[in-house]
Amino acid sequence: MATYDGLFDTLGLRDWCDGGASDGPMSMADLLAKTQGDDKAGATSLRELPFPSLDALHDACGAIPQSRDLTSGLEAGFLGIRDALRVVVDPLTQPLSWALEGMLNVMTGTPWWIMVPILMLITWAVSRSWKIVGFVALVIAGLAFVDHYEVAMQTLAIIFVCAFICVLIGVPIGIAMSRSDRLQNIVTPILDMLQTLPPFVYLIPLIFLFSVTEPKLYGIAVILYAIVPVVRLTNLGIRLVDPDVIEAADAFGMTKRQKLFGVQIPLALPNIMAGVNQTIMMSLAMVVIASMVSAPGLGILVLRGIRNLELGTGLVAGLGIVVLAIALDRVTKASLARIDASQAKR
Amino acid sequence: MTDKTVKVSIRNLYKIFGEDPAGALAEVRSGTTKAELLDRSNHVLGLDDINVDMNEGEITVIMGLSGSGKSTLIRHLNRLIEPTAGEVLVNGEDILGWNETRLRQLRRETMSMVFQKFALLPHRTVLENAGMPLATRGVAQEDCDAEARKWLERVGLSGQDEQYPHQLSGGMQQRVGIARALASNSDIMLMDEAFSALDPLIRTDMQDLLLELQAELHKTIIFITHDLDEALKLADHLVILKDGAVVQQGEPQAILLNPSDPYIEEFVADINRARVLRVRSIMSRDAPAGEIAGEVAPADNLESVIAKAGGNVGLSYRVVRGGETLGYVSMAEIMRALVPRRAREAA
Repeated sequence: MATYDGLFDTLGLRDWCDGGASDGPMSMADLLAKTQGDDKAGATSLRELPFPSLDALHDACGAIPQSRDLTSGLEAGFLGIRDALRVVVDPLTQPLSWALEGMLNVMTGTPWWIMVPILMLITWAVSRSWKIVGFVALVIAGLAFVDHYEVAMQTLAIIFVCAFICVLIGVPIGIAMSRSDRLQNIVTPILDMLQTLPPFVYLIPLIFLFSVTEPKLYGIAVILYAIVPVVRLTNLGIRLVDPDVIEAADAFGMTKRQKLFGVQIPLALPNIMAGVNQTIMMSLAMVVIASMVSAPGLGILVLRGIRNLELGTGLVAGLGIVVLAIALDRVTKASLARIDASQAKR
Repeated sequence: MTDKTVKVSIRNLYKIFGEDPAGALAEVRSGTTKAELLDRSNHVLGLDDINVDMNEGEITVIMGLSGSGKSTLIRHLNRLIEPTAGEVLVNGEDILGWNETRLRQLRRETMSMVFQKFALLPHRTVLENAGMPLATRGVAQEDCDAEARKWLERVGLSGQDEQYPHQLSGGMQQRVGIARALASNSDIMLMDEAFSALDPLIRTDMQDLLLELQAELHKTIIFITHDLDEALKLADHLVILKDGAVVQQGEPQAILLNPSDPYIEEFVADINRARVLRVRSIMSRDAPAGEIAGEVAPADNLESVIAKAGGNVGLSYRVVRGGETLGYVSMAEIMRALVPRRAREAA
């Protein structure tokens, strides 16, 4: 009947195959084959030999599962552990929801004539450059002028919270990686995976895990996506610290802690800050995609542009994201340059 | 010389780099050479049965060319590198048995180190760098600063406190390095090619500074160098390393006059002997026949005696210290001492 019948017959597995077989729901291919009649099946030439995939083998032997059983099995498995997982993950991530809600409320609730000066002040504190403060003022004013102030603030609020948490978690992971080659070998492939997995893919299990109305749903997605550079560059930065200086620290009897906070972190700071810059930029990229799972902000407008074919709405919001990205990049780059300058170039 | 106490002592020290040092060690002990070991099992014999005593208050210079194992050796003294076998005794105690806490105490209080590439903390000021050993020990900030300032001044670097290391020249950076080592107030100073990265003129300055400090402080200094002139200038005790083994050790003048090995002969061949050799090394007890032309001190170098004689090779001098006659030296002896032994034998 099917191509691989002979194989199972010669192996003497026919009984095992038929024993478990049941006439379950047929696949589309089966139905098609039925309507066309069975006469072709016996005469398969070598040219048409199918790859021995699960589906092809299933045709010959009912005990072998089909490929669709794999995907449905994965889904069933995930749903099976979902409740247990939720008991653990839900309370753990609840603070993220609170932080995001709180930040969104603060940044959109505060009147613009208080919020904008505060942002200017932060910019000045980080960059110490009037040029950049002016540029940021221009960007916010521009967005506010076309009535995108509130959505821009929502986007910024999410980025601030997520980037902060990325640094909070990412820097210690990077430090731990720099100290242990084994941990580095374990974490690096995970980081590679997080970086290459299309962002939509980790939205799927998150949707199953949390309700779409919870802010932590997109918070986790953004953090998973954006944490990679800060971890990588912290690890790299500490590993690149001049070994002569480390040797001197050892020779004068520094403890590990003294070495870490007195030598390694300060000397790795330019690299760590480069990681923070990348993390902020990647949070911005992800926050747009996360609009699909209810993240507020400029991304919603882009999404509306796509859904309703509102070209203008989408374009304006898209350009808004671009200028916001430029502003964030300039501010973090300026602080990076400031750290670089205050440190020795040897 | 005889009443000197031994401060640091290295006994039968071996270091083998490779995957199975213990296995390779057995081979080395049964007579395998460095080249054979590398060939056969891909292990590098870093240090081969080193035995050196370093006296309190003296400068011990360990000299050798690149790859002779001298930097490896000095790092065994504060266990920045762990040996494969052997003992390192500091004040009579084997530090290899010490745990981390005691070892840290040793590094903080008993031994300080000066590095070839200075190894200052680039993000700290000169003052903070010099005070680093004390700050590491947990001394209060103002005491650190006071002590650091004192030593910076002593090495000739006052008024640069708030500079960063990269703003200083190499010589000045190394002065900070020395101030840092002195500020730790340790008895033992390890100097790993401390002056090798400096210009020749600055290097001479720094050597003079070191001798001047040593005359005052009487530290036990272990100095690594690949420069024979520097070694002869600084050493009270000279150890010459080749391929991880000690070729000859002893008083530098004695090594210069009696090289035990063709390798060392070759080494000392290019030295300005007139400037390095001193009267006390070649003087004789018996008064020579003929007239005594004048008096010289035992620490005078031959160059100054030749200058005194005005090139007249017939003269003899009495060697006098504090009014006491120690011996005599003739110009003929001086001339003989200027010729390396190998050249003498060839003639």
